[in-house]
Amino acid sequence: MSKTSVAAMLKDRNQFSFAGKWPCMRPVILKLLKQEAVTQGEWQDLFYSVHLVCLWDDKGPPKLRDTLKVDIMDFIQQAQQRVLAHQEEQALLKAYITEWRKFFTQCNYLPTPFRQLETSLAGKTTTQKRNQAEESIVRKLMLDSWNQSIFGDIKQRLQDSAMKLVRAERNGEAFDSQLVIGVRESYVNLCSNTMDKLQIYRDNFEASYIKATEEFYKIKAPEQLSLHGVETYMRYAEVKLREEELRAQKYLEPNSASVQLLTDCCVSVLVATFKSAILAECPRMIQHHETEKLRLMLKLMDRVPDGVSPMLKDLEDHIASAGLADMMAAVDVITQDSEKYVERLLDLFRRFSTLVKEAFDDDPRFLTARDKAYKLVVNDSTVFRLELPVRQGTGVTAPVIPTKPVNSNNGQPESKCPELLANYCDMLLRKTPLSKKLTSDEIESKLRDVLLVLKYVQNKDVFMRYHKAHLTRRLILDTSADSEKEENMVEWLREVGMPADYVNKLARMFQDVKISQDLNQQFKEQCRATIADSINIKILNAGAWARGSERVTVSLPLQLEDYIPEVEEFYKKKHSGRKLQWYHHMSNGTITFCNKMGRFDVDVTTFQMAVLFAWNQRPFEKISYENLRLATELPDTELRRTLWSLCAFPKLRRQLLLVEPSTYSPKEFAHDTRFWVNHEFAIVKNGKLQKRGKINLIGRLQLSTERSKEEDNQSIVQLRILRVQEAIIKILKMRKTINNAQLQTELVDILKNMFLPSKKMIKEQIEWLIEHKYIRRHEDDINTFVYMA
Amino acid sequence: MAESVQDNVERGDGDNVKTENFFTLKKWNAVAMWSWDVECDTCAICRVQVMDACLRCQAESKKDFYGKQDCVVVWGECNHSFHYCCMSLWVKQNNRCPLCQQEWSIQRMGK
Repeated sequence: MSKTSVAAMLKDRNQFSFAGKWPCMRPVILKLLKQEAVTQGEWQDLFYSVHLVCLWDDKGPPKLRDTLKVDIMDFIQQAQQRVLAHQEEQALLKAYITEWRKFFTQCNYLPTPFRQLETSLAGKTTTQKRNQAEESIVRKLMLDSWNQSIFGDIKQRLQDSAMKLVRAERNGEAFDSQLVIGVRESYVNLCSNTMDKLQIYRDNFEASYIKATEEFYKIKAPEQLSLHGVETYMRYAEVKLREEELRAQKYLEPNSASVQLLTDCCVSVLVATFKSAILAECPRMIQHHETEKLRLMLKLMDRVPDGVSPMLKDLEDHIASAGLADMMAAVDVITQDSEKYVERLLDLFRRFSTLVKEAFDDDPRFLTARDKAYKLVVNDSTVFRLELPVRQGTGVTAPVIPTKPVNSNNGQPESKCPELLANYCDMLLRKTPLSKKLTSDEIESKLRDVLLVLKYVQNKDVFMRYHKAHLTRRLILDTSADSEKEENMVEWLREVGMPADYVNKLARMFQDVKISQDLNQQFKEQCRATIADSINIKILNAGAWARGSERVTVSLPLQLEDYIPEVEEFYKKKHSGRKLQWYHHMSNGTITFCNKMGRFDVDVTTFQMAVLFAWNQRPFEKISYENLRLATELPDTELRRTLWSLCAFPKLRRQLLLVEPSTYSPKEFAHDTRFWVNHEFAIVKNGKLQKRGKINLIGRLQLSTERSKEEDNQSIVQLRILRVQEAIIKILKMRKTINNAQLQTELVDILKNMFLPSKKMIKEQIEWLIEHKYIRRHEDDINTFVYMA
Repeated sequence: MAESVQDNVERGDGDNVKTENFFTLKKWNAVAMWSWDVECDTCAICRVQVMDACLRCQAESKKDFYGKQDCVVVWGECNHSFHYCCMSLWVKQNNRCPLCQQEWSIQRMGK
């Protein structure tokens, strides 16, 4: 740069000074403040002027700032006059908002040309660390002045009238919502506390907004409730909650906790206050299946602490009482008819599930409540009870059973549900009128239903026992309706978590039946045709089929007796190391009975066969009880039962045997009671005598003897004792030491798929294990147990 | 059946009305249970009854229980019996009977 040009510029320096520039800047600034039109040239010149003053005039920036401040103050003063001219609050608010809007817009424009000023002012004070987010000096100047001269004085009045407007809106009047928003913006933007910009807003506007809301509803809500009742009130509350939330989003500062605070306040004043009144309606609504209202109630109560749990309780109570009442109402039918019982249980389940779905949208908390209560219904023992015997102190043979006499009440009654479920399963899987009536898919879905109920059964061990007995009968008598379905059922039982050793045994039973079929085939190929035609053998795994069941001796008809060595010999050739035991109480057959009326095929048990064949040698004789006993060698109870089934078979018009003197029960047979064959025997169909036909006198195949049947329930208890001991040891082996509470929990967890052990039983078994030195109590804590290897 | 006919012939004369037997067998479904012919029904190695599959086989059978799963019994010269699976693992470590300590040699196998 040449010397001359520098000199020229210096000469012009005065031109760039504050004093030189200000006169042409000022009009533009005033125009901007008043929101009057400014040309592009004027706008750009303002930038330039500010730049020049800051650059060339050392004293320029502070001077510029001070004069600017004077002008802004002037403008504000005018605005103040305009605003304060209004006395009436609404008008005041309106005027304020108009001025504020204008001014606030200018706060965004006016500072831009003065950016240079800020940099030079800041350069002196702090190092250049300003970032753009920080409020500019000019803007702060503008807002601070506004706050000092206008807002500060009238903010309370403004706020009050804003709240009045909100209140009017709540009452249904429409107005310009900008009026309220403007007041809020003033609060937020005029805060001088840089650390917490929302402080003034929070302390004043927010607090008063929430307070006003609360006061409003404190009056309105009880009014609504007492006028329209709970149901309408719930709707009111729900609508208002939604409305207030939307309103809060409009009027309260969005990026703060305000909306949440307001909502909380509304919930508390609209819902929490009336919690008990609302909840009081819950039981009735559940009872009447008023799903819409319950849905609404849940929506409201879910927002209140501890609001849902009373509803859960109500649901549980309802299911339990309605379920039991339903059962009791039909007690005569369902205790007799397992089909009706299961259908009824399922019907209840569906009803409650629909309720939970429709009213509570399958909320998991309500599903749990449903399950809990339904379990109660299923396992309730007032409808019918299965009496488990009180365990005897003596005479117990199992080695691990406590030998000290304990008067335990493991004999507490249990629901017969598992037994009936098993019976129902049997009806579906056996060839019965029911299973014939249903399609395969229907049967499958009903079996699935059984499994569903089974899930809620506490004592699954009882179900398993009965189910296995039924399966045994079906397989031995070959009365399964569908063998594929049978095997599917086994798999489903496995899927629902039945104990593996149990399910494995069932599977083994099917396997045995198949093996026996092959065996018969081979037997037929190897033996005399006559024998093979008239005998069918089932040789089964004793472990899977008949552990512990006792055999009954019988003197077989010679013909049958002769088959036995032949079969045994055949079997011995095929297998080694095995011994065979004949289970004649399970075996059965078909005989042909010829008399003068005709020729009949009769399905009988082997015992019945043994009795009837006694007459083959003396067809027309009357044979005394005593002589039949000698001939058959059947035990007393078995012989009585067998004879009774032949001379008093239910639903048979003409019985096979006649008896003298006539009796009403098998117990009345005396040594000299005489029996003879009914030569007039015939099958009666529709009142007509048939010459030929087939009847079945087997009835329910006997799986165990009378004595062992009595022991059956006893053995359930014994098995439970062993299971508890086993499970305790299992747990302690793993944990080494465990406290009582933890042990109980884990125990129930292990055993829940079989039965629910009673506290008493657990306690007794712990004592027993301690006594026998399997475990011991901890030295320091008697409630902790230690495993002793 | 042959016998009952014979019976009838023998006694039929006395009764003189009947030419045919009274009750004749058409079909007999005989049921028998087999079990291993053992002195002790628990396998001393796995403590499971010999009629059931041994522990190992039971665990495997969970995977395919319809598959060939014959967990047979084996008798030693000492007449003690165990699951064959259990014993064959045992003899790898110690070729003596776990019960009587006699040298183990197989007398027979269950089939």
